[in-house]
Amino acid sequence: MEFNIINPKTKSELLKTIRKEKHFRFGAGCTDLLMELKKNSDEGLTVINLSQVKDAQFNGVKKSAKGIRLGAMLTAHQIVMNEDIKNNFPVLHEAALSLASTQIRQVATIGGNLCTASPSGDMACALVTLEADCEILGANGKARTIPITDFFTGVRKTALKKNEVLYGIFIPSKKKKVKNITSRFIKIGARRSMECSVVSLAYHIQTDETGKIIHAGVAIGASAPTIRFAKSACGFLIGKKFKNISQREKEEFAGKVLSYASPITDIRATAWYRKEVLFNISKAIFE
Amino acid sequence: MKKELKVIGKPIPKHDARMRVTGEAVYGHDIVLPNMLYGAILRTEHPSAILESIDVSAAKKLPGVVCVITAEDVDVNNIGYKRDHPILKKGEVNCTRDEIAAVAAETKEIARQALKLIKVKYKVRKGVYDAFEALKESSPQINKFISGKFDNKNIAETFHYEHGNLEEEKKKSAAIVTRRFTLPRMTHACMATSNITASFNPVDRKLLLYSSTQVPFLYQRDMAHALKMNPSDIRVIQPIIGGGFGSKLDMHPFEPICALLSIKTGRPVQILYSREEEFIASPIRQPMVIDLTAGVDKKGNFTFREINIVKDNGAYTSWGATTPFVIMQAFSSLYKLGACRFDAKAVYTNNIFAGSFRGYGNPQATFALERVIDLLADEIGMDHAEIRLLNANEKGETTGQGLHYETCGHKECLETVISKSHYSKKKALDKGERFKRGIGLASMLHVGGGAKIYRSDGCGTTLKIDPYGYCTIITGSNEIGQGSETVLAMIASEELGIELKKIKVINTDTDIKPWDVGVHASRTSFVAGNSLLGAIKILKEKLNKKAAQLLKADHSEFEYENNQIRSAKTNDSIALDKVVREMHFSEPNELAIASFFYEPSSKFQDKNFKGNVSGTYAFASQSIEVEVDTYTGNVRVLDVYVAQDVGKVLNPLLLDGQIEGGILQGVGYALTEELLMHEGKILNPNFHNYKMLTASDIPNIHFFPIETNDKEGPYGAKGVGEAPLIPTAAAITNAVCNALGVEFVELPLTPERILKAISLNKKNNNHNANPISL
Repeated sequence: MEFNIINPKTKSELLKTIRKEKHFRFGAGCTDLLMELKKNSDEGLTVINLSQVKDAQFNGVKKSAKGIRLGAMLTAHQIVMNEDIKNNFPVLHEAALSLASTQIRQVATIGGNLCTASPSGDMACALVTLEADCEILGANGKARTIPITDFFTGVRKTALKKNEVLYGIFIPSKKKKVKNITSRFIKIGARRSMECSVVSLAYHIQTDETGKIIHAGVAIGASAPTIRFAKSACGFLIGKKFKNISQREKEEFAGKVLSYASPITDIRATAWYRKEVLFNISKAIFE
Repeated sequence: MKKELKVIGKPIPKHDARMRVTGEAVYGHDIVLPNMLYGAILRTEHPSAILESIDVSAAKKLPGVVCVITAEDVDVNNIGYKRDHPILKKGEVNCTRDEIAAVAAETKEIARQALKLIKVKYKVRKGVYDAFEALKESSPQINKFISGKFDNKNIAETFHYEHGNLEEEKKKSAAIVTRRFTLPRMTHACMATSNITASFNPVDRKLLLYSSTQVPFLYQRDMAHALKMNPSDIRVIQPIIGGGFGSKLDMHPFEPICALLSIKTGRPVQILYSREEEFIASPIRQPMVIDLTAGVDKKGNFTFREINIVKDNGAYTSWGATTPFVIMQAFSSLYKLGACRFDAKAVYTNNIFAGSFRGYGNPQATFALERVIDLLADEIGMDHAEIRLLNANEKGETTGQGLHYETCGHKECLETVISKSHYSKKKALDKGERFKRGIGLASMLHVGGGAKIYRSDGCGTTLKIDPYGYCTIITGSNEIGQGSETVLAMIASEELGIELKKIKVINTDTDIKPWDVGVHASRTSFVAGNSLLGAIKILKEKLNKKAAQLLKADHSEFEYENNQIRSAKTNDSIALDKVVREMHFSEPNELAIASFFYEPSSKFQDKNFKGNVSGTYAFASQSIEVEVDTYTGNVRVLDVYVAQDVGKVLNPLLLDGQIEGGILQGVGYALTEELLMHEGKILNPNFHNYKMLTASDIPNIHFFPIETNDKEGPYGAKGVGEAPLIPTAAAITNAVCNALGVEFVELPLTPERILKAISLNKKNNNHNANPISL
């Protein structure tokens, strides 16, 4: 494993480097990148190390009435420690907390989790549930924003163009009464930490004063080539009372979630297992 | 009146604990010798192939490469328990680990680069990856070095044992249960990867090895045989070992390869495994298929057991092939039993070969046996706890195999975990809906006083006290992290009244230390402890004599305390160091030194495997509560209640460490750890997909030591190291079966296997569903 490394310190240095370099990869926490390069060395590769770039929009959190903007370089640990996220978007808090181990969470970034575009990405799955937008910075300094579902184009493939870098993620606040939320990240694996999701389910459901569901976001991970937003399952819930969902409705909902899954059989689990579990844990949201 | 113990039984931290946690400890990886080269090994790309040609010319030309060797370049003997394993392979390869060539270079990077330049032409063959397939007439002979001792060309070793009248016991049986159990490949995953530094001196032609072996004297002999050298020209020094667990009982090819590279170059050479190489090329726990038929009479007494085992030996034979020595003990002698017939064979395949692993076959045997005990109890409508208590081994018993239990805590172990875990109450509880709870029991029997499988199971000690009152214990035994050095220091401190910081333990150098078999069979504290006590006794006689002279006492009863020797009669005392100085420096000028060789009272078993093979026997029982998530198949181990007959607690802190570490290995064996293979290749040679459990998966462990004070053991102690792992997988599986009402006959109990079983059970809608083997 040999590569060159460049450490831009500012946004303009970063953009200049992107314009100049020909054969490069971005490194944020490098928890995935180093594993990949160890397996498949890439001759003449330059790693542009993003972790030393000092830039508030790249590294910080910004709250507004419309939602919350997270810099792409925030670490999983910073996400875990952020009270706003914990209170308003528990699904993301739980997803970040379920990632790998305390040590890895100190360096792994939310941007890296998205850009590696693994179907089993934990924070990525939570962000799909939350219908986040991705803010992408071009080498010319101009930003563009796309919905997160458009960001993932396949297994380990994103909508990022050659000279673009993920700059931040915006999570919109759906409804004002954030108190009535049921927001969880369910990670299935063989062990309780240092695990890569075998199946994951993220949901963020809001109810009104009467307990009626007014908003629902549901996403599944490790079940298809990309993380999927289970739109019809979400639609099915609107208007129903969260606490009064019948057994038949639970199963119908789980069936709708499952319709988004097209899992593979690999060393960690069979497609059969992934589907079975996904159905069961989807149903369990209301238990 | 019994003397009150001042040091023994106290929670004293490991004497090198500070060194370890501060990073000061020197492991094999830390060794750097002047002018040292780095070795690397080229392994085959195919598990079964003809080697048509090996071209090392490009590798030799790479700047920085000093030496490249293949089988053509060396004059060596085969290695392994059956001498069926060539160090470097010639003509053919039979296993994914097979070593084809080795390089020594100025840097690790150059060595690795050189491997890529070696061109090997293979003619790939269809391999045999299933032991039953290998037994068929149509299968090719896999290992060409076996003598043809057995009637099948692919059998590496067989074992046959029997006692009692099988037919009579069958007639007595009210119920008979037959099951086939399948056990997985588990790897040790030692924290430190395999390593060796070899330094051959071309002037005196002696070989110095820094090796992380568990059995230095056997290793010295094996290395000498491999290299056609005189054993005494090989000096083995053990650096601190980062995990053994049995993996370092066999000598592996990389070790003589490293020595050969040093011999060829006349320079020191070091080989360190990468983590991936460690997963691929270090030994495993034997995978095996156990067919067990067992009976019980209507009162619940066990009548007979018939066992057939087929072990996948892999391509070469290691000590792993001899695990039936231990396996048959569990089947013949755990719980009282009328008759037993046991047959096991190790069968060559093109898979990776096994080695020894903590428990030495016993976790596999105990899993099958304890599972069937639950089934037998169900057949006759008896409680799972009651049937075990009824059949538990007893003090004074001599089993059908000839194991004699001078002391026996089996029943007390069972009673303790049954009561402490509220077994009966919990077993009767409603299992729950999504999360189902269950509780399971299992016991184990293991050697607790060494195991006489070599001509001697002894250990030598030389003990000295210097003129400053410091004590040096030179012991034949060695340390692989289990803490026996600390226990030895504690024994010396207890007996000689010398404080611990003044006691040194020397145990790493075959040129210095007296003979010992090595670390295995949970023997070290027992055997080395007794050996040390023997040396202390002799040394004290010398010291007493001098003390009597100096104190002008006319008796020989002295007490040793606070670095003083005190007359038991007059209470006069004299400093220990002063006595030693007087011994050394005044006439007749003798050293304060003593040597002792301890040989346990155990017997070498006869050709029918009968005889009292150990100085004493250890027993343990575990009661384990689990919670199964029926939506995901995940099993959570909640509480482990463990009672173990340890004879006597020598150091509760170190004992806790052994218990906790063993149980966690057992939980991994039960639930997640499996080296997955497809056509001879390992699919998960990494921690990412080889699922060792982490700190967050640790259950609550409630440990109750049972002290039976065996007169054979030092202060009454028995061996403890392997026992805590042995019954864990069995108890967990019994608990899961209890929770779900479904049977399992295969490990590990992965979430997928559990969910499949639940799903099949639902389909069958039948509580007596067939056992699940997936």
